[in-house]
Amino acid sequence: MTGYREVLERVSAVGGIRGTMLVAAADGIVVAESLMDGIDGRAVAALTASLVGRLRRTTASAGLQAPTVMHLRAENGSVLAVPAAGDLLIVAVTERGANLGLARLEMLDAARQVA
Amino acid sequence: MSDPIRAMTAELAAEPGSLVFLDLAELLRRRGQLAAALKVAASGVARYPTLADAHDLRARIHSDLGDSEAAFDAWMDALELDPSHVGAHKGLGFLYFRAHDPVRALRHLETALTRSDDPGLHAAIARVRAAVTEADQAPPIDDEPPPAEGAVRAMAGDLPFSLVEGPASSATPSDSDLFAGFEGARDGLLLLDAQGMRLGGGLRDADGADVADAVAAHLAGVSREAARTARLLELGAWASVSAECGDGNLHLCAPTAEAVLLTVRDSSIPAGRLALLADRAAAAARRWLGGTA
Amino acid sequence: MRALEPWVGPPLQEFLAESSARVTLLMTSAGQVVAQHGFTRSLDVMSAAALGAGIMASTDELARLMGSGRFGAMVHQGARQGMYLSAFDTPRGRWIGLVVFGPETSVGLVQLFFQQFVDELAAAAPPEAPQGPVLAENFERELNASLRALFGR
Repeated sequence: MTGYREVLERVSAVGGIRGTMLVAAADGIVVAESLMDGIDGRAVAALTASLVGRLRRTTASAGLQAPTVMHLRAENGSVLAVPAAGDLLIVAVTERGANLGLARLEMLDAARQVA
Repeated sequence: MSDPIRAMTAELAAEPGSLVFLDLAELLRRRGQLAAALKVAASGVARYPTLADAHDLRARIHSDLGDSEAAFDAWMDALELDPSHVGAHKGLGFLYFRAHDPVRALRHLETALTRSDDPGLHAAIARVRAAVTEADQAPPIDDEPPPAEGAVRAMAGDLPFSLVEGPASSATPSDSDLFAGFEGARDGLLLLDAQGMRLGGGLRDADGADVADAVAAHLAGVSREAARTARLLELGAWASVSAECGDGNLHLCAPTAEAVLLTVRDSSIPAGRLALLADRAAAAARRWLGGTA
Repeated sequence: MRALEPWVGPPLQEFLAESSARVTLLMTSAGQVVAQHGFTRSLDVMSAAALGAGIMASTDELARLMGSGRFGAMVHQGARQGMYLSAFDTPRGRWIGLVVFGPETSVGLVQLFFQQFVDELAAAAPPEAPQGPVLAENFERELNASLRALFGR
């Protein structure tokens, strides 16, 4: 768990990231987290996992491979999700104006480290 | 009181154990006299608790009254007594379809088809197949003509549901104007209403197969989930959902409150550029929707 | 959906819509059914309520033996569906929620919206009417009225 925390904190260090989590995709529950105050980790985990599940079924029905990066953009921020091994997800919640490009790269790197 | 109802009422009064209660309650239901129909049906069920047709009739009346739960229970009662009861399977099929569970709906309707060759049932099944959302989809019906809307409506008229819930899935006459000039207008841009019904555009997979309906069946759920996620996480209104896959990228957005637009390209188009393409297509969709309103 | 007390209805409806649960049963810690959704046979309701209350009672006793505080919830996950069982305090005493869910949702969503449901129940509960003395005939009449309200018969 200490290893997971370190991996997540690297992602959280990116400008504009409000929190990062490791989520069990099938159950939508938190495995590890690095969150700022004001973020409901359980809600992020459950809702993001549900959205990711729907996206996976959508891309499968379109004949595409499984997604490697998923991004929900909203008025006041974003949620990014990157699958990792063991049906886990790296999930990040960002502010509006966050460095999404760097966040994406750090999350892909984090996913490779979660093995 | 009209003559047939009067005659059947008299018969039932003279002989309370008569099965005429089935015809009487059905006639009252069709005439919209639901309270009276329910009274007759409930009394009949109490007298004949093992008669599946009585439970089926009770379910139809409950459904007309808007009580889906009671209708569901009554149709399940009918199935317990007669596992292949056509009316019960049809009724449950429509209830599940209305509850956005087309897989269960299809299962029930196909079971009904083994005991009934109703053309309306064929049409309804074709309609539901297009909406199947689970990974193990039913194969598309390539060897049958597309269902005539009249046939579907006729079938729906038999039951207290409206199966046809939105505009026809085929493109409108002005569909060719929708994404005119856009690359991928027919195979990489798909416009849907909020219920997941196609409004225009098309989608094909890498092998050229038409996957528009199959994908459309998922997209209403994705947009609703995106809206809910953004709202509950206090991120405001959702703007877009994108996914990068090894062999392609997709971008979903809402040109208006009542429509969603899917843009799909191969992986040579990066996500950022895809978002710009989608913005332009969304603007085109807004102009077209404004013209068709 | 059927609820013994009308104020339970709207929060339960909201929970069902958000969680996509297949079956939900709400009961007192004594196993008396308060609300149901998805059961089609009263016998199933009775059995499930008794078993659910029994499980929670056993779990509470186990927690006491362990010297731990009460466990809030438990999850059983099967191949095709899961079950979420949770006890919570209400202005009407301790109640238990039994939720059966399938792959169309997740335990995370069920947990998330169940907590919201509990909060809404607490807010929706009206002040309890003062109770008169319990007489056997009153009990029988009230039980019958409750059963009629719950099962619509």
